[in-house]
Amino acid sequence: MEAQIKVKRFNPENESESFYQDYSLDVAEDSTILDGLIKIREEIDGTLALRCSCRASICGSCSMKVNGSAKLVCKTRIKEVSPNGELVTVEPMGNFPVIKDLVTDMDLFWSKVKSVDPYVKTNFEPEAEHIASNESMTHLLGVMNCIMCGACVSECTALEVDPTFTGPAALAKAYRFVADPRDEEKKSRLGKLNENSGVWDCTRCLACVEVCPKDVAPMERIVKMRDLAIEEGYTNTSGFRHTESFNDSIKKHGRLDETRLALESTGLLNISGLIDLAVIGIKSLFKGKIPPPLPHKPKEADKVTSIAKRLDSQEKEE
Amino acid sequence: MSKHDLLIIGAGLAGLRAAVEGVRQGLNVAVITKVHPVRSHSNAAQGGINAALTDRGDDWRDHALATIKGSDYLADQDAVEVMCREAGEAIIELENMGVIFSRDDDGKLGTRAFGGQKKARTYFVGAITGSALLHVLYEQSVKYNLHIYEEWFVTKLIKQDGKIAGAIAFDIKTGQMELITAKAVVLATGGAGRVFEPSTNALICTGDGLSLAMQVGAPVMDTEMIQYHPTTLAGNGILLSEAARGDGAYLINSEGDRFMEKYAPDYMELASRDVVSRAEQTEIDEGRGVDGCVYLDLRHLGKKFIEERLGYLQEVALEFRGIDLSESPIPIKPGMHYIMGGIKTDLDGATNIPGLYAAGECANVSVHGANRLGANSLLDTIVFGRRAAVNSVDYIKSSNSVDIDERELSKEKSRIQNILDRPKGMRSAELRNKMGSTMTKGIGVWRDKNSISEAITKMKDLRGQLPNVSIENKGKVFNTDLVSYLELEFMVDVAESICQGADMRLESRGAHFRTDMKTRNDSDWLKHTLVQFEGEELNTTTSDVTITDWQPTERVY
Amino acid sequence: MKFAFYPGCVARGAAPELYKSTMLVVDKLGIELEEIEKAACTGAGVLQEKNQKLGDVLNIRTLALAEEMGLSIMTICSTCQGVISQANHRVVNNPEYLEEINKELEKEGLHYSGKTEVKHLLWILLEDIGIKTLQDMFNIDLSGFNFAPFYGCYLIRPSDALGLTKNPERKHSLDIVIESTGASATDYAGKTKCCGFPILLINQKNSLKMVAKHTGDAKDEGADAMVTPCPLCHLNLDGYQAKARRQNKRGKADLPILHLPQLIGMAMGLDPKELGINKHLVSTAAFIKSIKTKVA
Repeated sequence: MEAQIKVKRFNPENESESFYQDYSLDVAEDSTILDGLIKIREEIDGTLALRCSCRASICGSCSMKVNGSAKLVCKTRIKEVSPNGELVTVEPMGNFPVIKDLVTDMDLFWSKVKSVDPYVKTNFEPEAEHIASNESMTHLLGVMNCIMCGACVSECTALEVDPTFTGPAALAKAYRFVADPRDEEKKSRLGKLNENSGVWDCTRCLACVEVCPKDVAPMERIVKMRDLAIEEGYTNTSGFRHTESFNDSIKKHGRLDETRLALESTGLLNISGLIDLAVIGIKSLFKGKIPPPLPHKPKEADKVTSIAKRLDSQEKEE
Repeated sequence: MSKHDLLIIGAGLAGLRAAVEGVRQGLNVAVITKVHPVRSHSNAAQGGINAALTDRGDDWRDHALATIKGSDYLADQDAVEVMCREAGEAIIELENMGVIFSRDDDGKLGTRAFGGQKKARTYFVGAITGSALLHVLYEQSVKYNLHIYEEWFVTKLIKQDGKIAGAIAFDIKTGQMELITAKAVVLATGGAGRVFEPSTNALICTGDGLSLAMQVGAPVMDTEMIQYHPTTLAGNGILLSEAARGDGAYLINSEGDRFMEKYAPDYMELASRDVVSRAEQTEIDEGRGVDGCVYLDLRHLGKKFIEERLGYLQEVALEFRGIDLSESPIPIKPGMHYIMGGIKTDLDGATNIPGLYAAGECANVSVHGANRLGANSLLDTIVFGRRAAVNSVDYIKSSNSVDIDERELSKEKSRIQNILDRPKGMRSAELRNKMGSTMTKGIGVWRDKNSISEAITKMKDLRGQLPNVSIENKGKVFNTDLVSYLELEFMVDVAESICQGADMRLESRGAHFRTDMKTRNDSDWLKHTLVQFEGEELNTTTSDVTITDWQPTERVY
Repeated sequence: MKFAFYPGCVARGAAPELYKSTMLVVDKLGIELEEIEKAACTGAGVLQEKNQKLGDVLNIRTLALAEEMGLSIMTICSTCQGVISQANHRVVNNPEYLEEINKELEKEGLHYSGKTEVKHLLWILLEDIGIKTLQDMFNIDLSGFNFAPFYGCYLIRPSDALGLTKNPERKHSLDIVIESTGASATDYAGKTKCCGFPILLINQKNSLKMVAKHTGDAKDEGADAMVTPCPLCHLNLDGYQAKARRQNKRGKADLPILHLPQLIGMAMGLDPKELGINKHLVSTAAFIKSIKTKVA
């Protein structure tokens, strides 16, 4: 069948700007996009630069944007994204500087991974293995599946506006150690991750979960670490106050009390933050947009409260 | 010019294990790799890593016998003893480094069954053992702050006064070429699967180290021993791990029969890989296959089990074939997978060139002989990667620092520039594709005098055509066009060595099955084949196999 | 056409104009709504962070209440839609978990069979009413106008929980509805990105960078207004647009942010004041004038 592939090109030695180049090629029905790109490189245009190796979605080399969203091109069939021969646009991953064509500079990516101290910190026992349950090891399989392809980083909406954010890949990797029963630095790891550019900067937009080719679900790991950080006593963040206030609100009223949420998240001692809120509050008041002082409760809200109480004590037992 | 004590070429499991050991031993170590360490092909190993843990009622001698039998008695038994004896310690160390091995009900390391062994001694992480190990070794390289030349391509080893002095390499990202001095070099460049097409191997498996070693006068051994893995996908050659069979999957033909009953009634689907591949090929050739394949059937294992233990296989089946393994058998066939042959080394990774060591798939100690058991490759890389580094310490400490003649660099720069300046000719892919199909046909599951001779002639022709290949990309930044050509040059050396070895060995043993000489001939051929450059020509010799406690007998599964 | 109505917290709180405009519009559309009065907040993903099970119980409870009413649920908030869909998806694929949750619900005499659907008004317009029928109800041709669609993360991710593979049109639903009014949908980078609301009270700097980027980019691409099916996105994009654009040097807050029912209502010829368009923080006076000129 005929495939139409449009590739974003950039050669630092020739041009100062990137441009798009169209390629038309004849490929087998079940060809992957990588098959197509390799064919271009081998038969049509030897100047095309891309990273690829295993062709079997295990090495993580070939992550790139396909029609605007990062994918591993070795396991994306052309027919999947272009059922009727539509143009397929291939671009380098987002949120990375580009070295050439589809090859991105991964230096910052790797240094963020290194920043989470990515190795198990445990006492060496030469005689035998550390005892650990199969469940705990199987649980880590989920994050161990991460092949460091960068797709999550490419689509991260937080990284797009703040390149200092540690990012989904490094944070998912951090979780792998936080959740490893053999690691002895859980508390200090969580303390560090709780700080600036750490777990609380994730916007929970699900972009990383959506694009991860290995179902690592980085956002869910980040969220879990927030919870674990709170459990370890790290409660000095607005993130913690936000979560607590939200939870209390629902448990008490069955609905969200927006005013209280805004006040408590900001922090009742945070004068500048509170003044800020007040400005918006006054503007909203003029427009008639202030939520009612007593939030609109659902009927029989006590039922919600009792469910919450029951499940809270259940969780404490676990 | 950069100077190091120990330069390791390749950042897969063998390379990284050697590097970590080198750092622990107090050496100035650097690793040079053409891809980021976690992209190395070690990550594609799926099934597991063997070890006989003596404190659990296992006996390393049992593992050694299985390995030697698996090798069809071509393995050097002293090397096998070393590997099997050190395996237990290696596994425990890996666990301590953080590998998330599967556990039994007592929380201790758990095992699965694997090919060629009656006792289950394969330690594993789901179906991503290689990836899990590689990522942990990478983590250790971060912990030890290892110096890595990331995405650098080695074009040549430098030998001075008969000793290894370092290497020349260029940064793929910038084209900048440098001379790197080292007192010792460990080649850990992995396999050469791309010489064949299809292959389970990644595109980077081009046998670079074998050629680099041969160019400085080291011989390669038993190169005719090419493993065809029984369960690979047709077309793209992607691997489905032996772990499936280890965990209970069946092989069935078009008539729905578990045909291994005929060929290996005792071990069935877990016979050695060469036996299983030949069984499959026979079934296919005799009309009991479908579209050149037979079937791997996991349905009886259940969806939950498959997803937990064999998750990666399910992913491959769904993504590349649209098949759910819990609902349907999947068509598979023998596919080129591993080269038992490699750079000849002693028990401690040393080659015949002072200062040059090798470990992992590119080396041949020999522990795998004529056929490798599944889950022994990961073990090989860890054990011999470590040993090579340890062994290099004394040599390094007693060596003086060498200064490489700068003219070596300018000479190599000119050579590369001349290649870039060639007038428009053919593309390297054209020759590479020709090589792939020729080698698969000539040195396949079956081979004979004719197929081998044809391969020899075609490879010679191909070498002759190399100067006609031109490079379209004249740039310095990420010039994969140039890299592909340089890899092709390496591959030609490897391909010709494979053909020479196959031509030399006048018997069938392990993976080398000649339809014109079907039996094993211990009296004449219980020997290693050696291929080495003598000037521009390839010279062939043989060497003895070391037998210790296990006399060769008939090999029945 | 009747639905169990789940308005969500913000429509009853800081964005009452959403509730009002919804009521006006469904009346014209011929949709009958019965509010699920006992339903609790979905938790918006924040509750789930701390106690996933509690969040699931509360959301499955909402589904059970709708099931009791014999109706599918209609939502008017991307976040509500997403969170309830995710909970639904979790139990439908895990019968053991559903059983566990039903044990809790049984204490209130409720039970969820796993068969109730939950749909955003946006999808209902596309799938239950149909674009043609919708267009027949429009009195005003909005051609010449350019509206920037802003979906809201939870309406488009994750695709399996939201039925996007089965109903791929949902991925472009907002573009389609905008275009059905005669207006064109702005092509800009931010339409499927995050508005920053979840981190507004945690990392305001980053949150406002998002608001500035998306509203700034939309304006640069010629948008007259932005339309969003999520009141949480609305709160950020409207409420903080002035501060955001100022802080990030993207000019003034001059991009009105509309709720989905306000766009529909406008196209139907309803009075913008009735629809509460004048209640937004970013001034809509000029925009309303330009609509009125169209009418005339």
